[in-house]
Amino acid sequence: MNSITLDNTLPQVFLQRTDIQSDIWRRQVSFQRGETYLVEAQSGIGKSSLCSFIIGYRHDFDGHILFDGRDSRQLRTPDWIELRQRHISMLFQELRLFPELTAMENVEIKNSLTHHKTAKEIAQWFEALGIADKMDAPVRLMSFGQQQRVAMIRALVQPFDFLLADEPISHLDDENSAMMADIMTEEAQRQGAGIIITSIGKHMALPYDKTFSL
Amino acid sequence: MRLVWKLLRRHISLPQLAGFFLANLLGMLIVLLSLQFYRDVKPVFSAEDGFIRPDYLILSKRISVLNTIGLGSVSTFSQKELDELQAQPFTKRVGAFTASRYKVACSMGINGVARFGTEMFFESVPDAFVDVDLKKWHFREGDDVVPIILPRTYLAIYNFGFAQSQNLPKISEGIVGMVEMTISMRGNGRNEFIKGRVIGFSTRLNTILVPESFIRWSNERYAPDADAEPSRIILEVKNPADDAIVSYINEHGYELEDDKLDAGRMTFFLRLVSGIVMLVGLLISLLSFYILMLSIYLLVEKNSEKMRTLLLIGYSPARVALPYQLLTIGINAAVLLLAVIALFCLRSQYMQMLQGVFPQMQDGSIVPAILLGLALFVIVSIANAIVVRRRINQIWNNKD
Repeated sequence: MNSITLDNTLPQVFLQRTDIQSDIWRRQVSFQRGETYLVEAQSGIGKSSLCSFIIGYRHDFDGHILFDGRDSRQLRTPDWIELRQRHISMLFQELRLFPELTAMENVEIKNSLTHHKTAKEIAQWFEALGIADKMDAPVRLMSFGQQQRVAMIRALVQPFDFLLADEPISHLDDENSAMMADIMTEEAQRQGAGIIITSIGKHMALPYDKTFSL
Repeated sequence: MRLVWKLLRRHISLPQLAGFFLANLLGMLIVLLSLQFYRDVKPVFSAEDGFIRPDYLILSKRISVLNTIGLGSVSTFSQKELDELQAQPFTKRVGAFTASRYKVACSMGINGVARFGTEMFFESVPDAFVDVDLKKWHFREGDDVVPIILPRTYLAIYNFGFAQSQNLPKISEGIVGMVEMTISMRGNGRNEFIKGRVIGFSTRLNTILVPESFIRWSNERYAPDADAEPSRIILEVKNPADDAIVSYINEHGYELEDDKLDAGRMTFFLRLVSGIVMLVGLLISLLSFYILMLSIYLLVEKNSEKMRTLLLIGYSPARVALPYQLLTIGINAAVLLLAVIALFCLRSQYMQMLQGVFPQMQDGSIVPAILLGLALFVIVSIANAIVVRRRINQIWNNKD
């Protein structure tokens, strides 16, 4: 997949509103593979909705979302599965980890689906992000910042054309945040993928190709 | 799969699954048992008579008080009546019963020990009406053994009345060759003996049947002067359902020997009772299915967030549904297996009891019951799988 295009898209809850000033809603916006984007927003302006629309979790929007020109509304269940497994990886704001599994199992459950990384490569990421000692700990006993790193690793163990990260560093210090940015861009570059990061304030220090204000 | 199962097995309620398991087992067992019992017991009521084809009719004249005191119409068939019957359009063949006209006594024993004796009589019908291997069913002057077909009721009288009280072995039809009969025939100044061999039992003939050639020979030898008209006749008709037969029989005051009727009624009630019991079993199965569905719904409800996440990180609805589908199929398979084992145990119990009462009873096949069990298993499993999958699809579509 080379592009994600938003064509006059607007969440249906905003249909009555006339005061929308946005670089994205009700506009023609295109995200290209290989580029890095930052979407800045305030709370309640539909940042998480945007991610839900792109990943196919919600469909309550007006206008169109096009993947390489193909309308997302035409996608059937197998297409969405294919899209989530191989084309768009998502780092959820609420992380969506499984509390009853260990950190490593949370990553494995995704990797066993894609067989994208070896156990050794995964362990190296745990090492790099400073949570190697927590690999076999239940993820529910970890701090939110540690969980964010686990969720990041899970997002990376799949082939993708776009990485969609919804507030990835909200609970990380600058050192860890920089480390996460390194790993993320390294993997994205290796795959030639685009990165779309949303933020309501603190954001990763990356060489963004374009910044949108939602 | 291991991790997905680790995730989704949370909140599985063992009491609920055990409830479903027991209820389904009970329902399945009742269904299978009722079918098996029906198939096992049915032959007792509807035993086919191997010697007289079912579409042969046996006619006699109605016996009334007037007959008994020697007034009224005679109870035998005249040649004229036979000819008239033969001329009817529904008739294919008519044969007369010929009775022995001399004194017959017989003593029976087992393994060389004579046990009881009785006076009796013989009858024959034309050989063409007896459906038995002609090698077994023949007699020529000079033979020292005569083949005999006894009414099946005699066997019952022996087994339940005689054998039981005298501590003798019960006889099944299979080992009937063990019965030894010594027959004494008296008349015309002679008293001679001959051996009888029982070759089978008949439900439809209430008589002691011997080959026609034997009756002809013996009547001539022991009662050359006596002559008698037949009191019963056997009739082969073109179509047994023909109304003309019944009206002809009624018009002429004949009587149809129809011992199949009672058996028919019993079979009907057996079928009715088995059917009702099977219905109850199916109902229990249905309710147990309902329990399982409720349990699965609760389970999916409690695990729906996890399932949604699995779907969002790229798992297909089919893969998310699979663990629960396998769980229900596994339970159903265990139910089927246990039900079949229980069926075997219960069946061997009741067959033992029944065979004490009906020694000639043969086992019905257990295959239909197993096939029915398999069919139930497949239907219930498919229904379970579909319901689980539909529930996951609802989560996929955000409609939960």
